[in-house]
Amino acid sequence: MTDEAVIVGAEIVAGHDGAAELLVRLRHPNGSEGPVVLDEMTGLRLMTACGVTHVDDLAGQSWRRILEGL
Amino acid sequence: MFDVIVRNGLIVDGSGAPGFPGDVAVKDGKIAAVGEVVGEARTTIDATGRVVAPGFIDPHTHFDVQLLWDGAARPALAHGVTCVVPGNCSLSLAPIKAPDRQRVIGMFQQIEEMPPEAFTTAFEWSWEDFAGYRAALEPGLSINVAPLVGHSVIRLWVMGAEAQERAAAPAEIAAMQALLRECLDAGAVGLSTSFVDVDENGRPVPSRFAQFAELDALCAVLGEYGRMLQVVPEFYATDITIARIDQLGELSLKHDIPTTFSPLFDTLAVPDNADRAISRVEEQFARGARVWPQMQTRPIDISFSLLRPSLFFARWPRWVRVLRLPLDARETALRDPDTVAKLIADTGPDGGEAALGRLVARGGDACPQAFVGQTLSQIAKARSQTPAMALIDLSLENKLDVAFLSAGQGHQSTDRIGPMLAHPLVHIGASDGGAHLSSFSTYGDTGYLFSEFVRKAGALTLERAVAKITGETADIWGLKDRGRLEAGLAADIVVFDPDLIGRAEERPTFDMPGDGMRYVRDATGIDTVLVNGEVAYAKGAYTVARAGIVCV
Repeated sequence: MTDEAVIVGAEIVAGHDGAAELLVRLRHPNGSEGPVVLDEMTGLRLMTACGVTHVDDLAGQSWRRILEGL
Repeated sequence: MFDVIVRNGLIVDGSGAPGFPGDVAVKDGKIAAVGEVVGEARTTIDATGRVVAPGFIDPHTHFDVQLLWDGAARPALAHGVTCVVPGNCSLSLAPIKAPDRQRVIGMFQQIEEMPPEAFTTAFEWSWEDFAGYRAALEPGLSINVAPLVGHSVIRLWVMGAEAQERAAAPAEIAAMQALLRECLDAGAVGLSTSFVDVDENGRPVPSRFAQFAELDALCAVLGEYGRMLQVVPEFYATDITIARIDQLGELSLKHDIPTTFSPLFDTLAVPDNADRAISRVEEQFARGARVWPQMQTRPIDISFSLLRPSLFFARWPRWVRVLRLPLDARETALRDPDTVAKLIADTGPDGGEAALGRLVARGGDACPQAFVGQTLSQIAKARSQTPAMALIDLSLENKLDVAFLSAGQGHQSTDRIGPMLAHPLVHIGASDGGAHLSSFSTYGDTGYLFSEFVRKAGALTLERAVAKITGETADIWGLKDRGRLEAGLAADIVVFDPDLIGRAEERPTFDMPGDGMRYVRDATGIDTVLVNGEVAYAKGAYTVARAGIVCV
């Protein structure tokens, strides 16, 4: 158990503006899970910040990495 | 003597009541009679085999700029839309002080993707206040306009550049209230705000710097007029959207105003997203609040080119690495046989047939005309290549400026969306007409409502579908003179073939100022459109009528 939210999964979804977006699932310290959709640039920056080139490799990363992409 | 009689149609009057055979007579811009009409008219329209309905109302558009040179908001009018609501998402073209114009142009370009010439050559920007914008707009209108005023521009008027830096002081909030009153007196039908949008530099638009006290104070002014608050909530997270629904509920109850938020869409990746939001809306309505979620009818497509990185390729690491390279290095990599062989292998043993074959070459860019509208599978066969190889080669041959579309990737399940659209508390809207010009067509959602959800799925009856986008929309927005075929109301009328009304395939066209490109969809099944009693569109052509007004 970690004391902060972590990414437990991610997948590509369609954004309302026609771009591919990144849906990231977060698991919170209390065990609950919830999705957040990141726009294309933020999603790409998250992947860069995490040093990954496949969405599946985002699992296990801290939610704070998302902030770095904003 | 009537001005117009539409005879022998199936009258679907916008109330949701069953259609009935009859006539509609028009005199002096108003509906004079509905039913069996005796008498003559200067113009008679035969509607045998056709539906006669109130003109459709599109409550979420960004036609603010286009309306200045195109008073029909083409092709909206041709789709049977007789009233549009521009000024959504916190942005309108007034009130704006002259020195602030460039700042707002950047915000509009971010949303609308309008070419720069639209702001420099297509019209003379002669106004600063809302009354001035209305005066510039109204003479050329052949469609009706019910404009919102944007929170971001109100903020910018009062605070200048600091509108994008800080919260407002009490005196500034009072000044915004006075300015909003002025706009409402000049014909604005409400206020729009956004918690999401950014400008061309990626900075939050001014409305996002407002604290709740500011929004509350502006809603107090809306309450004086009983006018609408439109909001773009944080739709990327269901929980935050629900929190916004609760906030809108509080504002609605406190100030006795209608509120609406958009967009709300269904996604199979988060299957409870729309259901949870609608459930919360039901709770708010049960308390007496008015919080209308706007849901679009059309599916969401994904488009991309190899000109810039796209998350479309995020499941293939090698593609991501190559597309992240600087442009020259990217082209070099895409010409390297070893790299290309690996890229193709990543797309599967079939060379991308399953993964990429259904992509469509969009056109409107450097794509050769012969390939526009074809699937990558078809293009690949014609070139004797695999789809992945064809994607790379066709892009390289055209400086990577070839856009591909993956259709129906979101909001695509008719079985799920039909019942939502039919829900009595779901407001059909969020078309974004006039926005995202170079990304996808925002026209034809009304036609798609009938072709997909009435004819194909049977999720709504013809009468319910008409009521949703006419009478009920007018009621939600307080447009008292619109939305129904009823004696004494404005004669906004559409005559259509219920078996054919729909939307054509998306196509690129170059009709924006400076030969700017946009994607459009033509209408099918629309015979005649009357605006305020004058024929504005008939037999596939726009007329010279300019009977549109700013309606409140």
